[in-house]
Amino acid sequence: MADRVERLTNLLALLLETREPLTLHVIAAELGGQYPESEQARRAGFERDKAALREIGIEISSVTLSGDRAGEMGYWVERSSYELPDLGLEPDEVRALQVALAMTRPDSAVGEEALWKLGGVAGGVGGPVRMHLPELESLPMLRAAVAARHPVGFEYGDVNRVVEPWGVLLRDGFWYLVGFDRHREARRTFRVDRIVGDIVELDEHFERSNDSDLRSALPDDPLLLGAEGATTKEAVIRIGVRRAAGVVRELGSDRVRAVLDGGGVEVTVPYVNEAAMRSWVLGHLEDAEVIEPAELRASIVAWLEGCVR
Amino acid sequence: MSQRPATERLRRLLVMLPWLMERGEVPVAEAAERFRIDEASLVRDLELVAMCGLPPYVDEMIDLFIDEGVIVAGVPRLFTRPLRLNRVEAFELLAAGRAAMNLPGADPDGALNRGLHKVARGLGEDDTGVVVVNATPATVATLTDAAAERRRVTVSYQSHTADAPSERVLTPFVVATAHGNWYVVAHDDRSGEVRTFRVDRIESVADAGPAEVAGPEELPMPGEWFAEGDVARATLLIGPQGRWVMERYPVDEVSAPDDHGRCTVRLPVTSERWLERLLVRLGPAVSVLEPESMRDLAERAATRVLANYR
Repeated sequence: MADRVERLTNLLALLLETREPLTLHVIAAELGGQYPESEQARRAGFERDKAALREIGIEISSVTLSGDRAGEMGYWVERSSYELPDLGLEPDEVRALQVALAMTRPDSAVGEEALWKLGGVAGGVGGPVRMHLPELESLPMLRAAVAARHPVGFEYGDVNRVVEPWGVLLRDGFWYLVGFDRHREARRTFRVDRIVGDIVELDEHFERSNDSDLRSALPDDPLLLGAEGATTKEAVIRIGVRRAAGVVRELGSDRVRAVLDGGGVEVTVPYVNEAAMRSWVLGHLEDAEVIEPAELRASIVAWLEGCVR
Repeated sequence: MSQRPATERLRRLLVMLPWLMERGEVPVAEAAERFRIDEASLVRDLELVAMCGLPPYVDEMIDLFIDEGVIVAGVPRLFTRPLRLNRVEAFELLAAGRAAMNLPGADPDGALNRGLHKVARGLGEDDTGVVVVNATPATVATLTDAAAERRRVTVSYQSHTADAPSERVLTPFVVATAHGNWYVVAHDDRSGEVRTFRVDRIESVADAGPAEVAGPEELPMPGEWFAEGDVARATLLIGPQGRWVMERYPVDEVSAPDDHGRCTVRLPVTSERWLERLLVRLGPAVSVLEPESMRDLAERAATRVLANYR
């Protein structure tokens, strides 16, 4: 039996070069004996080949024919869906992408394949700076939905959402999806790792509004993350001497309201998202105490009492 | 010789053929090294596709032969362009490029930004489909310069556990960001070892002359830094609200979720205080299964913090 790669290559060449959809009958005749004789075995072999090509990323188009072949399926591969368009990349630009991958995704087989397609190679470079990129399986499809302007559906916070995705954003170690939530009728930001279950890409198209710049979607301060339009509150936090220098460096000295005896400080911290604020305060354990507002202080006490049980 | 799957061989061929046709003549050894495939397999697969083409298989063929260790590609007819980037590859390129643009030393007018712009356009999106924002403290640039120029630095370092900062002389090798924090991998004069330090705990940094120690041959990547075998482990039961822990910290093992969406997670614990902070922040979403000595850690830490409020 002929090598399967040979049949797949011939099949792909035929489907790419054809000017009209080809029936399986014609394909088998053109490939002269590379498919089995019996109708059933031939169909099974062809389906396996289609699946193999799809696995590589090649979509086979099909159409139900009319005229003297009415009812039969015709197949072809759309050249524009197969070929990488000429991106016009200069050698130094491909090389820069190689360096970027080496700094952020060394040993990535996917990155290497991508660089090959661009005429480059992977590895062998990388300066003294690196960034670890968290991997999430859903990110590639989310990005594709952003590019194709397809809404996506998923479960988040016990609610089913339909979102017009504007972009994905990596911010301080977490990936976020930013977009327009159709039910809430407002811009929303979702932590991608908190999306529950599968994400569905909807077969429709949305128009993007002009104000959808991702860079403004998340405020610089994670404590200000949260529902857009919510009011910004201000907390006063007392920081113990052990963490005082670090916190002042983190927040800036203009946030220091008072320097206490013994070296501690009181800082004012604007926030929107109470959960993020709570997490920030509790991250300092006994070195941080909420002074104001009273409701935040009460909610921290209730949370801690929950830990003691 | 074990045969690679047909799909993998074809995938590799489809990326090699356009490159070979553009180059015309390429030594077998060079192509084999570039595409990470052994020479025998490469020759066999190329000789196989040289018999492929369009029916009636007379002249419309993949024009290619191998002569004395050199691949010679003739008239390019079929498979002259590489296959499109698939979704995963596209994301990989854009995310890596945007991340690198966010690192110190990136040039907004440089080749990377130009290349990224072209790739994004080719993929049908503008420059905001994938965005990376990572705050870079000023210390990072100083440490990066020191690593690049092979200098030592004197730092004042406030460790997790110590009450007061310590003076150290570091020889930085790599500065890296992971999980929202910056780290420097450096030789440390106090311990005489290569260690990882949190950049936000460095309170001051000053040049201390040329480096005197060479870097280790292999530096760990950020994801691996905490995953050392000699670090103690804890096993936690984490509910759906605490799933971010699996994303943020390296973990050894994660079980499938139970009926309540809770996972059993085994992870390295760099210090008891670190685990206390994690547990108190997670609150009701977590409980410690092992070690037994840490089962009441959250309660003890919460009690200490509550004392502030009483």
